[in-house]
Amino acid sequence: MSLQPAIRPWLAASARCSSSIIRSNVSPTLTRYQSTDTSKRLETVQDWQQFQSTRQDVSDLIHMMTPFGSTQNDKTTFHLRDSLRRPPAEATISSLLAAGAHFGHASTRMNPNFVPYAYGTRAGITIIDLDHTLPLLRRAAQVVRAVARAGGQILFIGTRPDIRPVVQRASERLGSQGYHVGDRWLPGTLTNQRQFFGDETVDSTKTVPDLVVLLNPLQNIIAIRECALEHVPTIGIIDSNVDPRIVMYPIPANDESTRAAELIGGVLSIAGREGVALREAQLMKASRREQSRRPGPR
Amino acid sequence: MNVLRTSVHLLPATRLPRHAIQRAYATTARPFVPPAQLRDLDNPGPRRGDRQGGDREPRQRVKPPPESPSFYTSRPVYYDQIIQLEKAIGQVRGSLKTLQLLPLPAFARASLPPLHPVWKTQDEMTLDFETKMTTTRYRKVTKLLSQLNEYNRIARTAGCTELADGIDSIVSMFESGKKDAFLARGKRKVVILDEFGRSYTVGRRKTSSARVWMIPVRQEKKESPKAVAVEEELNMEELFGVERAAEPETVKMEQVKVTTSTILVNNLPLNEYFSVPADRERATRPFKVAGVLGAYNVFAIVRGGGTTGQSDALLQGIAKGLVAHEPELTTMFRRAKLTRRDPRMVERKKTGLAKARKRYTWVKR
Repeated sequence: MSLQPAIRPWLAASARCSSSIIRSNVSPTLTRYQSTDTSKRLETVQDWQQFQSTRQDVSDLIHMMTPFGSTQNDKTTFHLRDSLRRPPAEATISSLLAAGAHFGHASTRMNPNFVPYAYGTRAGITIIDLDHTLPLLRRAAQVVRAVARAGGQILFIGTRPDIRPVVQRASERLGSQGYHVGDRWLPGTLTNQRQFFGDETVDSTKTVPDLVVLLNPLQNIIAIRECALEHVPTIGIIDSNVDPRIVMYPIPANDESTRAAELIGGVLSIAGREGVALREAQLMKASRREQSRRPGPR
Repeated sequence: MNVLRTSVHLLPATRLPRHAIQRAYATTARPFVPPAQLRDLDNPGPRRGDRQGGDREPRQRVKPPPESPSFYTSRPVYYDQIIQLEKAIGQVRGSLKTLQLLPLPAFARASLPPLHPVWKTQDEMTLDFETKMTTTRYRKVTKLLSQLNEYNRIARTAGCTELADGIDSIVSMFESGKKDAFLARGKRKVVILDEFGRSYTVGRRKTSSARVWMIPVRQEKKESPKAVAVEEELNMEELFGVERAAEPETVKMEQVKVTTSTILVNNLPLNEYFSVPADRERATRPFKVAGVLGAYNVFAIVRGGGTTGQSDALLQGIAKGLVAHEPELTTMFRRAKLTRRDPRMVERKKTGLAKARKRYTWVKR
């Protein structure tokens, strides 16, 4: 070992820094900064409160020191959950690319009616032309906004477990005008209503939506057919193996990508939220006009 | 029309008849407009037979929309509940994080006392959710509820009563009504005293059973017995005029009041019912072990079997009753095997044998 530094000087530096030497230099009684004592148990409520306050002290210290450190925090950093919880109001080509919305299915499975929306093929899969996707997505968002503004009911269908939260949040954004189907669509929901909902519900409630948004239309062909029979306009994410004509407003994109579904679902639901807000503003203006026209009370 | 007329002179010499060129089709003369298109749906105007009234709302043609956002799943109650539970879990998780109780290190998790949940059965939940509760759905619901139960356990142990009460209010909706019975299964039933302070217990031995009611004998409040005046001894010193020396200490004889209690078995006193003294000894053994002879009145109804079985059954009934009145005797009685139900029963006779065990004489040939 002593000869080696002469022959290979760089080894001397690494040998000096080697962990074994560091460890040997440290005294045998190692100071530990985190207790790994597992025998300590929290018996009384006071023990628990002490435990909580110790943790809170550390948290407070970090919070106090935060302004002096990096400006990056939870709100300013990227999280994967943001695509579900805080989707953008408008999609861009780059965000669609980042979400992987341009990946189609195998080119051998490409539907001939999809050709106008395909950019080409690469590595055996069809690449979807996002220059077509983006305006069609914006058109679909306009439709959602207009229907919501007119007071229509919008139903979001996404029957895979990973896109179930997407449709749930999308329906929440539309308030009372939003509905969702996160599990299997039961055949006959629109065409066999009396059997499903009962006579009095069908007679007293409006049981047909005004617009249906499908995030995985290939698994919900039955729902599409029922919408066609009941004259309900449909919007759907169309992949390269699907005929775009099955829905009224196709959005050519990857239907297997969760992030793409979150992005598209988010954009559409935010447009719907705007429509709802516009409707409310309209109604308020109308009611204020009514009140000013009518004579006051008494 | 003008086009037709001007083009007439351009046509070849053979002229078509006038009615063929200028025939007025209904569709060209007056285009057809469907009557429905002319109707104004928003302002239908006054109906026939309507009186001239003030402002009237336009007749509502639109039915109100469904309330639940899960309406089109055909199982709105179930899906809405799932969503509510998931939201509750998220909120509770956030609160516990704020309270520095999540994530919980291993040693803290080991210090949590158990909190066993007992959820409703699948059939009971079917009524609650208005949809058939398949195993998948039931497991999904109970998984969410168990998660909430875990958070409840943490919150309650750490003393966060408001949060724990909030979780309780959610979780109690799904708990079985038979929770206490289920959790107490396998454990001995707790005997409670009624409004008069009586205990009711049952003892069994062989085929006898004894139903025993016990009540402590009422102690009359008596003032402590005054020190019985010791007769003053004849003071020899006084008689002889000598000053009394040290007075002897007056020995206070405290009279111990021996209470008498009544033990009635099938309405007869103990000694009448059990003529054999050994049976009486056996029946009153718990009192002797506890040292409370005469402190309890006993009324028992004994049925079945013979004298030994009945006296042993009475023993067990009395022992259980004593434990109900004085729980500190539990360990002592368990060690003395007084509260134990003796499992020995008369063994049945088997075929090929004279009795349960007795074999017929073995014959070599």
